[in-house]
Amino acid sequence: MRAIDAGILICGECHELNRQDPETDEQTCTRCGALVHARRPDSLMRTWALLLTSAILYIPANLLPIMTINSLGQGSPSTIMAGVIELVQHGMIPIAAVVFVASILVPTFKLVGIALLLFSVQRHQPLSARQRIIMYRFIEFIGRWSMLDIFVIAILVAVVNFGRIASIEANLGAVAFASVVVLTMLAAVTFDPRLIWDNTESDDDHE
Amino acid sequence: MPDPVDPCRVSELPLDELVACHECDLLMRKPHLALGEKAQCPRCGYELYAHRYKVVERSLALVIAALLLYIPANFLPIMQLNLLGQASQDTVWSGVLGLFNTGMQGIAVVVFLCSMGIPLLKLLCQLAVLLSIRWNIGRSYGLLIYRIYHHLRDWGMLEVYLMGVLVAIVKLADLAELSLGLGLVCFISLLLVQVWLEVVMSPHQIWQALSGEDIHAGD
Repeated sequence: MRAIDAGILICGECHELNRQDPETDEQTCTRCGALVHARRPDSLMRTWALLLTSAILYIPANLLPIMTINSLGQGSPSTIMAGVIELVQHGMIPIAAVVFVASILVPTFKLVGIALLLFSVQRHQPLSARQRIIMYRFIEFIGRWSMLDIFVIAILVAVVNFGRIASIEANLGAVAFASVVVLTMLAAVTFDPRLIWDNTESDDDHE
Repeated sequence: MPDPVDPCRVSELPLDELVACHECDLLMRKPHLALGEKAQCPRCGYELYAHRYKVVERSLALVIAALLLYIPANFLPIMQLNLLGQASQDTVWSGVLGLFNTGMQGIAVVVFLCSMGIPLLKLLCQLAVLLSIRWNIGRSYGLLIYRIYHHLRDWGMLEVYLMGVLVAIVKLADLAELSLGLGLVCFISLLLVQVWLEVVMSPHQIWQALSGEDIHAGD
């Protein structure tokens, strides 16, 4: 049985149980004072909005250079993928794999994964609740790791600072990329995982 | 594991004998936990809560340790690079400044927040909450601050930053002479203490202690 069926609301912040008060629209938690809702309001709509914005920014994030390496007066801009290829050419396969997973696979997987989650919650298809919750937890856990490339740029900009001989500067691609990461993290926060279970009550309740 | 409740009797049970899973909304009878045990949702496997030993004392010790490490971790050099007789140092703070000064203010702010600002705020929130429980003052502020802490939680990214340091080291190792600094040691220690703190400071017990429902919740 779900708490919502028993007229009980869980506080989203402190997880305290509150009896639903039919009189008011804006009920606050008896323990911590946060607004309580049976489900996060407009969860699907807000998640879609954040997801679409980040999908649009995903294009410049991958096409524009994220940083420029200036060496002896010559500048060479480099995109995310170019950085990975360069690492492979230098024979640093494990680190190239880490960067590839964090900067290319994870953001792509997140965009597709959140879209799939939203779609399967709305259409009751095509994943089982268990698959969806695994997907949700994976997306929530992995999201932060895409910031890796942004931190690498910050470190490189600071340390490779030798004036005309060699210096590194960040470019617009990095702005777009950081926005994609932040927006997809926000989308994962806005999505209410309880929706995953709402339409599967019958098959997974009794294990 | 807690038992899902019998639907016909649930409305009669008082709320403090029930627990609902935060991730899937399954309603259950509240299990009684011994010290060191934890309860998981039988349907989705989410950790409902844990009961740990001496939460407030142990967390306070860890918060203070983390705050002491914070300044050296962020302001001592993580690495030093020598190229053609010139040397340059990298600290977490100089990374932020470097981005800011090259016109990338937006990213500088994001990097500052994720690697310095939010981790510090999180620690300060935890310190305030623990002191409020320990000295029994300002519990209502404690609740508010602990709510803020839960919103900040996902946005501190020390472990990702450490991975970034590793990637940068590998990238630079071939190009120039590189030496690692004391800042890196402090940064790794800060990260470890902070992870340990998140494990020790069991939210359920802190909420209970803050709201005064159970005076021994933090023991």
